[in-house]
Amino acid sequence: MLAMLAWRNIWRNSRRSMIVLGSVVVGVVALIFMDSFMNGFVMQMLFNQIKLNVSHIQIHKEGFRDNKVVQNYIPDQKKVETVLDNFPEIQNYTKRVITFGLLSSARNSSGVYIYGVNPETEVKVSNIHKQIIEGDYLSGNGREILIGKKLAEKLEVGVGDKVVAMSNTPDGSIGSDVFRVTGIFQTVNSEFDKSNIIIPIERAQSMLEVGNKVYEFAMMINDYNKADEIAARIQNKLERNYEVQSYTKILPLLVLQMDMYKEFAYVLNFIIGLALIFGIINAMLMAVFERIREFGVLMSIGMKNYKLFLMIIFEAMFLGVIGTLVGFIIGLAIVYPLSHTGIDMSIFADSLESFGIGSIIYPRLIIGNLLNTLLTIPFITLIGAVYPAFKATRLQPVYAIRYV
Amino acid sequence: MSIIKTEKLEKTYSDNGVPVHALRGIDIEIKKGEYLVIAGPSGSGKTTLLNVLGALDKPSVGSVFFEDKNLADLSKSELSDFRLKNLGFIFQAYNLIPVLTALENIEFSMMLLGISEKERHRRAKDLLKELGIEELADKRPNEMSGGQQQRVAVARAIVNNPTVVLADEPTANLDSKTGGALLDLMEKMNREKNITFIFSSHDKQVIDRAKRLLILKDGKISENE
Repeated sequence: MLAMLAWRNIWRNSRRSMIVLGSVVVGVVALIFMDSFMNGFVMQMLFNQIKLNVSHIQIHKEGFRDNKVVQNYIPDQKKVETVLDNFPEIQNYTKRVITFGLLSSARNSSGVYIYGVNPETEVKVSNIHKQIIEGDYLSGNGREILIGKKLAEKLEVGVGDKVVAMSNTPDGSIGSDVFRVTGIFQTVNSEFDKSNIIIPIERAQSMLEVGNKVYEFAMMINDYNKADEIAARIQNKLERNYEVQSYTKILPLLVLQMDMYKEFAYVLNFIIGLALIFGIINAMLMAVFERIREFGVLMSIGMKNYKLFLMIIFEAMFLGVIGTLVGFIIGLAIVYPLSHTGIDMSIFADSLESFGIGSIIYPRLIIGNLLNTLLTIPFITLIGAVYPAFKATRLQPVYAIRYV
Repeated sequence: MSIIKTEKLEKTYSDNGVPVHALRGIDIEIKKGEYLVIAGPSGSGKTTLLNVLGALDKPSVGSVFFEDKNLADLSKSELSDFRLKNLGFIFQAYNLIPVLTALENIEFSMMLLGISEKERHRRAKDLLKELGIEELADKRPNEMSGGQQQRVAVARAIVNNPTVVLADEPTANLDSKTGGALLDLMEKMNREKNITFIFSSHDKQVIDRAKRLLILKDGKISENE
């Protein structure tokens, strides 16, 4: 009956209750939208990097990442392959030759990272083949080269044009080769497009005069959350002169950014919660003050303070729960479609691409965060009602029943 | 046997720092089943005395005993319990809970006592029938006249079988006919259920029906007949 009384009480002043509900709804929608947008933003940045060239786990010779010289090749490819083949969690892996060099056209030249890849296995680890905007992906034959759009613009070359790649060989001489542009890619990371070229692995090995040596194993696993754990297990199976690193070690700044976002999400929750609390306190105080006489009557006829307290808490709880549920439904109705269609942020395209995100942001709904919102907001409304409820219990019945 | 006894009861308020002596040494004994009216001019201390007797207010000096129990010994929570189990209140402005129907208003005080929903529903319905206001069961206060609301308030006051009902100017907002009918009802409850009624009123109709009259003047009993 107390709950029923509370329920009816909130509809006594329906306009005020609707305003409170509206503020809760707006708060919840804002929270869901901001949370999913920021999650989408950060995760998109991460997944783009992973799918572009980072993958979930990489294996190199120890020291390679700090010093990408041709001498730092994988000491024993067979051994690494044997180890990787015994990990069912690994979905696919590919081998790469990576070095730094110079790419020249008839008009210009630019320093680049040269990626020698196996076209067949590379597509299972990277999505670079999906980023070709002109020409074709590598077939594995001949002197094919993929270059980024920005680089193509700088070198003033197009599909079918010749370019020359040069790099140091292990003996210190210069290895070079002529390539014909097969495809031009445009990824969501303009920095990558400016400074990376992709050629068949055999051609890279031949140009660098390193036989069948490779410099990197890149792999995708079935659960990216387990990358650290699996990387450690692979490391245990290999000698110490191999360096097995998950994306969290390869992209520390990005991981830091994700952690920062988590902190930011708490701040966001706190700010919205704070705004809600003051709204609730204000509304509930008004509701208490306009019913002082009624509370006096309730106390006179024997209602104990804790029941009065509970009744007001129930009122806030109803407002909080209804507002949260409505806000939740509206929030999902807005964000869920956007998580598929994305939000076009083309006006910020240049800056977003330099972050490696792309101009379309796909909000990401995370069940844990949604549940958190579902529980936190009603709880916040309860907290907001504590002070008004406490004020009500401090009333003296003899004064309250005479209150006008 | 006295059900309420006061000893040297005094109540002093502070009105903007100026002490106001609302009660000045009240000694009364009220027996079970009495039909007592406290009368007197405005400011004589009628309502203050009623509030102190009803454990809504504490005396500045002196004691109130209810069945030999000193109310000053009870905590706030015990006082709530005490009022719930032993007292019924009828107010001048009816003071029904606006969001509840007549039936629910009557059930409410039973709910506070922890009586089961089925039982309180039955008792509330029986009482409405007994008071002849069955048709009001599903009406909310704003759908009832003043007289009807005050009848429901009477039902709310007596539904828990209190020992004492305290009525503060119960007819003040009613016309004389409606007030008379209400007083008939309360007399009947007093007669049939032996409930002690204590009124505070300066309504002649109420005073005329008093079986015992206590007249207050300047916080003192000037007549006790």
